[in-house]
Amino acid sequence: MSTATLPKIAAEPKRRPLHVRLLNREAPLGYTLLVPTMLMLLVFLAFPFLWGIWLSVTDAQIGVDQTKFIGGANFLYERGDTVFIQSFWNTINYTLVTTVFKLVLGLSMALLLNQVFPFQRFVRAALLLPWIIPSVLSTLAWRWMFDPTFSVLNWVLVHPLHSVGVNWLGTTNTALASLMVVNIWRGVPFYGISFLAGLQVIPVDLYEAARVDGANRWQQFREITLPLLRPVLMVVLMLSTILTFADFQLPYVLTKGAPYNSTNVLSTWAFNIGVPGGDIGIGAAISLVLFPILAIAIAGVLLSLRSKD
Amino acid sequence: MAEIRDITDYAAKDAWSRRKFLQATGLVAASLAAGPIIEACGGGTSGGTSNTGGPYKVPKARAGAKVQLLQWNSFVKAADDEFKRQAAEFSQANSCTVTIQTVSGDDLIAKTPAAVEAGSGPDIIQMEYGWPHLYEQACIDVTADVNYLKGKLGAIHQVNDAFCKVGDAYRAIPHTQVPNAWSYRTDMWQQAGLSKFPTTWDELASNGKQLSDKKLGQIAVSLGHAYGDAITMWYPVLWDFGGREATADGKTVTINSKETLAAVNWAINTWNSNSIAQNTLSWLDPDNNQAYHSGLISATLNGASIYLKEKNINKKYIDVTDNAAQPGGPKGLSTLNLIFNHAVMKWSQEQETARAFLLYAMEHDNYSKWMSVAGGYDAGPYAAFTNDPVWGTDPKLKPFHDVVPNGKWPAWPAVPSKATAQSQVQFIIVDMFAKAVTSKDAKGSIADAEQKLKRIYEKPS
Repeated sequence: MSTATLPKIAAEPKRRPLHVRLLNREAPLGYTLLVPTMLMLLVFLAFPFLWGIWLSVTDAQIGVDQTKFIGGANFLYERGDTVFIQSFWNTINYTLVTTVFKLVLGLSMALLLNQVFPFQRFVRAALLLPWIIPSVLSTLAWRWMFDPTFSVLNWVLVHPLHSVGVNWLGTTNTALASLMVVNIWRGVPFYGISFLAGLQVIPVDLYEAARVDGANRWQQFREITLPLLRPVLMVVLMLSTILTFADFQLPYVLTKGAPYNSTNVLSTWAFNIGVPGGDIGIGAAISLVLFPILAIAIAGVLLSLRSKD
Repeated sequence: MAEIRDITDYAAKDAWSRRKFLQATGLVAASLAAGPIIEACGGGTSGGTSNTGGPYKVPKARAGAKVQLLQWNSFVKAADDEFKRQAAEFSQANSCTVTIQTVSGDDLIAKTPAAVEAGSGPDIIQMEYGWPHLYEQACIDVTADVNYLKGKLGAIHQVNDAFCKVGDAYRAIPHTQVPNAWSYRTDMWQQAGLSKFPTTWDELASNGKQLSDKKLGQIAVSLGHAYGDAITMWYPVLWDFGGREATADGKTVTINSKETLAAVNWAINTWNSNSIAQNTLSWLDPDNNQAYHSGLISATLNGASIYLKEKNINKKYIDVTDNAAQPGGPKGLSTLNLIFNHAVMKWSQEQETARAFLLYAMEHDNYSKWMSVAGGYDAGPYAAFTNDPVWGTDPKLKPFHDVVPNGKWPAWPAVPSKATAQSQVQFIIVDMFAKAVTSKDAKGSIADAEQKLKRIYEKPS
């Protein structure tokens, strides 16, 4: 009888440590890699936001240690503040008007930049300048351009055009409009470049097929460009609306709310009350007033994007 | 209208209070016992009481200490450089490091509350206007040091005193005032047939009209949200016609009065007759300086920086530039000057070194040297500096010297408080005038200001 040689059973592999087993699985590894980002978001986004909400329901004052919970008293107090109400409507006007202009001009800019022309790359880079230059510096330059005595804009109006100079920042009729002009100037490149990126991923075949079918330029724009650009358009619109609502640097550097608060927006008024005025609780309440409106708008945009996907 | 008390009433009351008496006797002892401050900075006890009630011990710098001081970039760079030089000199003598960080006035307005809220930052912060009242809990009690300086340098100017003293304690060490007077073009004045700068607001309006009619440069002052130039102009206008924003105790708003109406009507008439420039509704502090140096306006209210820049740097209009004190109105003659004081912050780990440096900077010779370099831009807050030699160096500086005694604080006669500070940063008085000149509705503008002031002064605690 021959003795069959049993194959040698391989030694059972040593059980690997828990962390190695966990990291070898896709989901735990993914969550682990997310931890640093989540921590950053918690520290730099969630904490200040939640802190702001807490301040808005307290009687907190800068430099005063004792703080007590007062519920919605700060919000109720601001109802009687005429400057707050004016700032609220200024903010709404400022955001709506500039967003419409930035959208139209940004889209036009993107359509033009999407064409082939000499020095195309140079022009694209140059048009980004308003977005690249630090806002404070460019706004100071605009302040000079709006200066009633030194204004290059007025020089053009008076000399070549034989018209009269405008007191750009010095009247309630023109001051907020002047702020809007600067905001549009600064924001259009962001819209333009973002839309350009969206335009460049639209397949050329679609336009060729449309041309074969006899579609004119307007029909191509309406039926191909706009629908395919929609996701980019919505995201840009959402980001821009948030940034414009919260714009502080531009009105603060240009006018600080003058003439008599006609250019105050919620961010500058909140700063005025909360920081130099010391009522940080009321300041936080003012800056949070638009939060529900913005939250609903953003949720609407995100839901709309998801439903189309 | 509630009774309005004059500042002298407070001075008189203060002078006879028990606390004041004790302080004064302590000061006499201190002044007899103490040597020069620079010696004292080396150590020793000089009499009086400390901030905690024990015998006063002159603060001494700790070797190896690092102290940071935050203050504004004044409009006279040489003065800032001299202050930094003194800090370096002090650092070297005491083997410590005192660094001076200068930022724009606007940045100081943002950085100070941020540091106070965070409870960390510079060891010493320059306090603008009534900030010691806003940030009382963040500033250490420096009463003993201030009393010590009073013993050395004499009485404190009423405005620095009112701003530094919160309740019974000093929360800042008085440092300086930037006197505000008018810089004007004598050549334009002559071309308009005018011989001298006006001494009343009505004369100012009529002179402005003559300048304007002859198409010469206009008189121009900010009606915008300029933390310096706008309030230094429009508060005095209000006061000189008898208007007051609140009672002395700060409990009752008194802006809606026939005196305020007179002041606002003066502004409307002056504006309507084109006697002052109408493009100043959004002017910030540098704008009138630029307009003057460009030869575009004939007069403006400012610190001496316009004159000093013409004298030392531009030299273009220096021969035709002169200065004049504020005009007065039917109910008085007042001035509002920029006020700066230094507070040692509670979070500082080097409070004693910080106090020692501030005393060193206020030492007579050092301070006088600094004033000399500032060339008349800064005035001292103690009696010892009232007739500092710098005021004799140039007769054209005299108006900047002369406006100091009439100085008041924003919201005067209301005692400086959080409410006065808030009404100031909201530009309620300036906006009342701005709204009136453009809307021509004097009563409506006053009612609007009254409503805003009541929200501040009569806010339930």
